[in-house]
Amino acid sequence: MMIGALDAPRRQVAEIDYTLLWSVLLLLFTGLVMVYSASIAIAEGGRFTNYQPAYYLVRHGVFLCIGLVAAAVAFQVPLALWQKSAPLLFLIGVALLAIVLIPGIGKDVNGARRWLPLGFANLQPSELMKLFAVLYAADYTVRKINVMHDLKQAFLPMFGAMAIVGMLLLKEPDFGAFVVIISIAMGILFLGGLKARLFALLIVGLLIAFTIMIIVSPYRRDRVFGFMDPWADAFGRGYQLSHSLIAFGRGELFGVGLGASVEKLFYLPEAHTDFLLAVIAEELGFFGVLAVVALFALLVQRAFAIGRQCVQLDRLYPALVAMGMGIWFGVQSFINMGVNMGLLPTKGLTLPLMSFGGSGILANCVALAILLRVDWENRQLMRGGKL
Amino acid sequence: MVVRRPQRGHRYTESPVLQLALQGWRSRTVGLLLMLAFLALVGRSFYLQVIHNDFLQEKGDSRYRRDIEISASRGKIVDRHGDMLAVSTPMKSIWAIPGDARTMSTPQKRQLAELLDLSVRELDGKLASEKTFTYVKRQVPPETAERIAAQKFPGVHQEKEYRRFYPTGDMTAHIVGFTGVDDKGLEGVELAFQNSLLGRPGSRTVIRDRRGNIVEDVGATKPPQDGKDIHLALDSKIQYLAYSHLKAAVEANKARAGGAVVIDARSGEILALANWPTYNPNNREHLSGAQLRNRAITDTYEPGSVMKPFTAALALERGKVRIDTVIDCAPGRLTIGSATISDAHKHGALTVAEVIQKSSNVGTVKMALGFQPKEMWEMYDRLGFGQAPNLGFPGEVNGRLRPWKNWRPIEQATMSYGHGIAVSLIQMARAYTVFARDGELMPLSLTRIEETPPHGMRIFSPQTVREVRIMLEMAVQPGGTAPKARVAGYRVGGKTGTAHKLEGGVYARKYIGSFVGLAPISDPRLVVAVMIDEPSGTSYYGGDVAGPAFSQIMGGALRTLGVAPDAPLQVAEVAAGKGRL
Repeated sequence: MMIGALDAPRRQVAEIDYTLLWSVLLLLFTGLVMVYSASIAIAEGGRFTNYQPAYYLVRHGVFLCIGLVAAAVAFQVPLALWQKSAPLLFLIGVALLAIVLIPGIGKDVNGARRWLPLGFANLQPSELMKLFAVLYAADYTVRKINVMHDLKQAFLPMFGAMAIVGMLLLKEPDFGAFVVIISIAMGILFLGGLKARLFALLIVGLLIAFTIMIIVSPYRRDRVFGFMDPWADAFGRGYQLSHSLIAFGRGELFGVGLGASVEKLFYLPEAHTDFLLAVIAEELGFFGVLAVVALFALLVQRAFAIGRQCVQLDRLYPALVAMGMGIWFGVQSFINMGVNMGLLPTKGLTLPLMSFGGSGILANCVALAILLRVDWENRQLMRGGKL
Repeated sequence: MVVRRPQRGHRYTESPVLQLALQGWRSRTVGLLLMLAFLALVGRSFYLQVIHNDFLQEKGDSRYRRDIEISASRGKIVDRHGDMLAVSTPMKSIWAIPGDARTMSTPQKRQLAELLDLSVRELDGKLASEKTFTYVKRQVPPETAERIAAQKFPGVHQEKEYRRFYPTGDMTAHIVGFTGVDDKGLEGVELAFQNSLLGRPGSRTVIRDRRGNIVEDVGATKPPQDGKDIHLALDSKIQYLAYSHLKAAVEANKARAGGAVVIDARSGEILALANWPTYNPNNREHLSGAQLRNRAITDTYEPGSVMKPFTAALALERGKVRIDTVIDCAPGRLTIGSATISDAHKHGALTVAEVIQKSSNVGTVKMALGFQPKEMWEMYDRLGFGQAPNLGFPGEVNGRLRPWKNWRPIEQATMSYGHGIAVSLIQMARAYTVFARDGELMPLSLTRIEETPPHGMRIFSPQTVREVRIMLEMAVQPGGTAPKARVAGYRVGGKTGTAHKLEGGVYARKYIGSFVGLAPISDPRLVVAVMIDEPSGTSYYGGDVAGPAFSQIMGGALRTLGVAPDAPLQVAEVAAGKGRL
């Protein structure tokens, strides 16, 4: 569609990808409204929030503003600079992940140590790490592009780096971030041309390991497949999921109406973070969910389209960054929504751009600013400009 | 999205290396996989929200949809004139979510504690609970609750409830009884009429949040049906007379306990029923079993001589004697088998009327031994002894009337003067309605009788009863056993009873003195029975301990009812100690 605009006779050519921009802004704004709706009851009824109903709304709004300012800044940074600083950023990310594990520095919430207190807010290094992983994996792949066929040179160093990051994440534990970051790294390597046979082997290996685990330990099988029947232990392990599913069921086609969710009234834990989609499903119905899924699909599609355009323009690093962003948002939103619907086992993972959480919003805004920057640079080049 | 290859510029020539590295199929594959994943989400969402939603909604309803009761107001208990005996007043219970309530500031806590009349330490103790719900105080007056609500203490909530209030207090405690906190009748009429008093609670269906707050109403509301009021036969004024004179009699005779019953002989209605000791139903903190006992209904005792008029009536009825038949009671002793029966005071030859008047055991036994055991048993049985009086009152006792087949002559003899047979005071009072009603035994009623009173059961002929009434009146005349039972302005009749108490199957040197009588003799209206348990004053004779109380109660009740006097209004001065057993 943007390309189509190029063909239009003598019109001012768009500077940026408005489809992407608007879908992102729509997700951010819907997220703000739904975070308020989902959190109003717990904010009003909680000591922690000092009984202020707008507690989460105000904070989420502030995070959004910070995120948008950060995005505006990030948009000014050329991709070349991102590429140059990618290894450094990755190291910073690893360092932060290590620091967060140091007792006394990292902050524990519900048995997970994922936050660094900064006084006014908490920083969640794993959220930043997702962004750094995209930037770094793309840079890595570009550097190794000529040896991609060589397993030892191409795969093993990245495997080592990911092993370190993975261990740090599992130590927190933050299994959700672990899956997303591994997906980003593997996805970018795959796009960069790492042997398809290797991926086939990896998948087969994983399946075998999985099967063995299930045969050997029925306990683990229950843990993993518990999500398939939350009603078996509806007031124990299946509690959260069962309430999420009830929220979907109550929503029907058009929802019970904005603000009218019952599940958010202390029944559904984490309604404003990990289970925001359940509240959307209850209040806005199937069509609300459909709209959210469609916006994410559109976002992912734009990311891949921008990436493919980079390929046309011979820009390898931006191409991998763009598609890496697509993988990130695609995988994370799919996992989060899949968990909400009981398609995937429950793991702590927020809905990008929408769920409450400062670090997540900040990282998401910067990431999409970089994506818009890639597109902007593409447009400049296509018009014969120079970067 | 079709990506068209840009047409211009040599700078975009294809690099073979790049072409090799970023093969288009790879990005298309990844993109396609993600789109399929999103499609799966849409499908799953559709399944959950449109196809499987009934099941999920049902699960949801089971978690937060609740039918809550709208409590019905418990019916009032009123006396025959509509005066309140028990009434429910709306109160509030103050409850808290301890976790939230602990955030109160110290001044707030002090204020709340003060309003609830608790110490701050007590309040802290209640809020220390780890549960999500705790009562801080129940049955709080509405004004206090309003002041608490106005302060908006965090985590402090209230709920409507009722408190039962008994305006007449200890005076009617035994007959009215009381309820528990949950409106459950525990004693007395409150228990006996629990079902009609309770009413039917209504209900509304609501959605609650997880903390129990009601979010919205769904469906129709069923209004509550308040409980029915119970109109007792009780007359508060007569009850007051019975209560206060009984209390005075128990105290004057240093007795352990006592009971008094007033029955309207025309209808069988119980106009008064009092016991001592009693209790205050509005404050039951230090309640003992002795205070709780509704003796007149739940305790049996051996009535003693109060039984004698029935023996005489049966003898008259069967034509064995006439009222003026002379019975030789000398020398005041009679040996049956190995046992000897004696009179408290030796008498010579007495007429049947005098046997009753002076309460001669020997004379009574001589009449009784002329009956078949079965004859006597049948009379007692028809008089209601040995069977619960069927008032619907909790804890009614049967009393003890042994089957006639096992009677030995000595037992038949002692029963004729009220030993070896156990009755409750209410049974005895009821039995005396035959003398007030020309031979008909009246069924008793706790509640006011609105229509024509039921018919009694005929036991003696009117002629027999008229003669017995003459004997009963003689008993309160000079020369009788209970001159103290006389009532100024009315002709009264009655019979004393002074019985040894049975303790562990042996007669102890403890007594129960009683008096049961009726008035006015010319057209009997009331039966009054008074029983004094273990008098330990100067006298233990029924005529002395129960007679004066009877006189006061009977006189007061007759005047209260406006019964026309049938005797000159002279104050009877009778020397104390003249009357005997």
